[in-house]
Amino acid sequence: MNDTLKAARLDLALIRPYMRNICFTMAIPVAFAAINRSLVTGVSFAMCFIAMTAGYTFSVSEKSSMDRLYGILPISKKNLVLGRYLYTCSMGLLAFMFSIIVHPIVLRALGTIVQPADICLAAILGILMFTLYTVFQLPGYYKFGSINGRIFMYIPIVGFLAILLFVSELNITNNPVIAALAGNPIAAIIATMLVCVIAYLLSITVSVKIIRSKEV
Amino acid sequence: MKLIISNVSGVPIYEQIKQQVKSAILSGELQEEEALPSLRTLAKDLKISVLTVTRAYTELEEEGFVKNVQGRGCFVMGRGSELIREQLICKVESSLTEAISAARMADLSPQELHQLLDILLEDKTDG
Amino acid sequence: MDNYLEVSNLSKTFPGFQLQNISFSLPKGYIMGLIGPNGSGKTTTIKLILNMLKRDSGEVKLMGLDNISDEKTVKSNLGVVFDSNYLCEEWTVAQAEAAVSVFYKNWDKKKFSGLIKRFHIASAKKIKELSKGMQMKLMVACAFSYDAKLLILDEPTGGLDPVSRDELLEILAEYIEDGEHGVLFSTHITADLERAADYITYISYGELFFSGSKDEFVDMFRIVKGGRGELASDLDGKLIGARKFSTGFEALIKSEDLKLFGHLDVEPATIDDIVVFTNREGD
Repeated sequence: MNDTLKAARLDLALIRPYMRNICFTMAIPVAFAAINRSLVTGVSFAMCFIAMTAGYTFSVSEKSSMDRLYGILPISKKNLVLGRYLYTCSMGLLAFMFSIIVHPIVLRALGTIVQPADICLAAILGILMFTLYTVFQLPGYYKFGSINGRIFMYIPIVGFLAILLFVSELNITNNPVIAALAGNPIAAIIATMLVCVIAYLLSITVSVKIIRSKEV
Repeated sequence: MKLIISNVSGVPIYEQIKQQVKSAILSGELQEEEALPSLRTLAKDLKISVLTVTRAYTELEEEGFVKNVQGRGCFVMGRGSELIREQLICKVESSLTEAISAARMADLSPQELHQLLDILLEDKTDG
Repeated sequence: MDNYLEVSNLSKTFPGFQLQNISFSLPKGYIMGLIGPNGSGKTTTIKLILNMLKRDSGEVKLMGLDNISDEKTVKSNLGVVFDSNYLCEEWTVAQAEAAVSVFYKNWDKKKFSGLIKRFHIASAKKIKELSKGMQMKLMVACAFSYDAKLLILDEPTGGLDPVSRDELLEILAEYIEDGEHGVLFSTHITADLERAADYITYISYGELFFSGSKDEFVDMFRIVKGGRGELASDLDGKLIGARKFSTGFEALIKSEDLKLFGHLDVEPATIDDIVVFTNREGD
């Protein structure tokens, strides 16, 4: 097993006791989507929720002063950081898959037909938002710790409120940008991926720099 | 062989080990070519430092009581080894001196003393 | 590669504290006690060895390898026990093993379960439910399960009852018995070291005071005791540290000055005496 994977597994082990709560919270966005009859808000909400749990690994490890464990394990600081990003992104991906599949089913059961363009928009927004939340959150936690850095936990909420505003301000069907993206979903998805990859690379670089200069 | 360490005697621990090994050799409890307990095991068992036992064993070797064979352990030198013999002779001398002074007090003549010694020697060789 | 640990000229400056030019080495097969009062720089030294703090200058070699450029190799052969638990408190013992074992190629599951059994640790218990002594033994069990060559313990006996302390010393003695393992043991409870340690490294106010064999260390000093009037004023300068009271005095002297004090009661010094008196500026 490679070191990044080992580190991600260690993070998963940290979160295991909280896993049930996390899964449970994923039901709330479903309800939200159902009430609003909107896939976009549902998925955005889900990604906001899961991004808020990104700080759990930090707070759990801080609570048990596991910095010392990280200090003695035969693994580089860089791999520890990469593992944490891998873990965070995997959780995001799971939440994303779950909501992008479950929300349309629930909406359809309630009689709202979800258009492919809606799914496309929800997917792009969801992924972009999750990226945006986490690329700032993680370096923040690395820099300030989960207690001093808890302000970063609210980045997703702020982001989510912004999305809510943005979506209601926007006339989805008539917006030319949205229409263009909907017309060429492949290009839209590739562009999204590109933005995410660049954002994460920058974020990882910053985090590694922070952790390397940190003394425990 | 019995080895016990006292914490309150004030005698350094390595000295206590040396004395007890020596008396075990002289009393015959430790026979020629017999191995002393392994250095590290002894340290573990007595809960003392390895270096302390090393010092005791090294000094015993320097004094000619034992021989350290690299990688195999520490072995008791033969009784014929000069030093132990000397120490035994010393012991005989002092015991005999003691016997002589006792004989004087008891008014034993030298002949009678010789005779007594011969009898004792005979007894020992018979037994 | 006879030295498992070689520290040379290690220095680190913090605001308000300086660790200066610390050098010592620990051959394999022995136990070294790292002593000094609280705040003297023991934990700093250990954290520098573990590269958890960045050194300003100097060099640290573990099992012949540099602690920074060969960090990964070094750490797969290194076991560490801190003064308190470093595993996630919510884990059970079994979960902790599962989480940590993947990092070590030679983790021996059988050995771990054997040690857990021997130390009477219930593997279904959560880490936070274990006593301090149990947590300490769990960290030891982890280190032994991947056959760490060198074990570094930072104040492991603080807060432990005498039974657990004794057990730990026994475990350590067993660990070095084969001559292939080494132990660096920082503590301010010097009674732990009085018998078991082979070497002593004594750090005081961030500076190295002594490093060498324990017997040599203890032999360097003597305790003298006498009545108040018995101490000639010219001898006062020869006292390393003294405690004077209404009916007399107690002082630490160098063994080489022993003949000057022939008229007084002289006793061998304990490690504790040495640490206490060398940190005492005289009353």
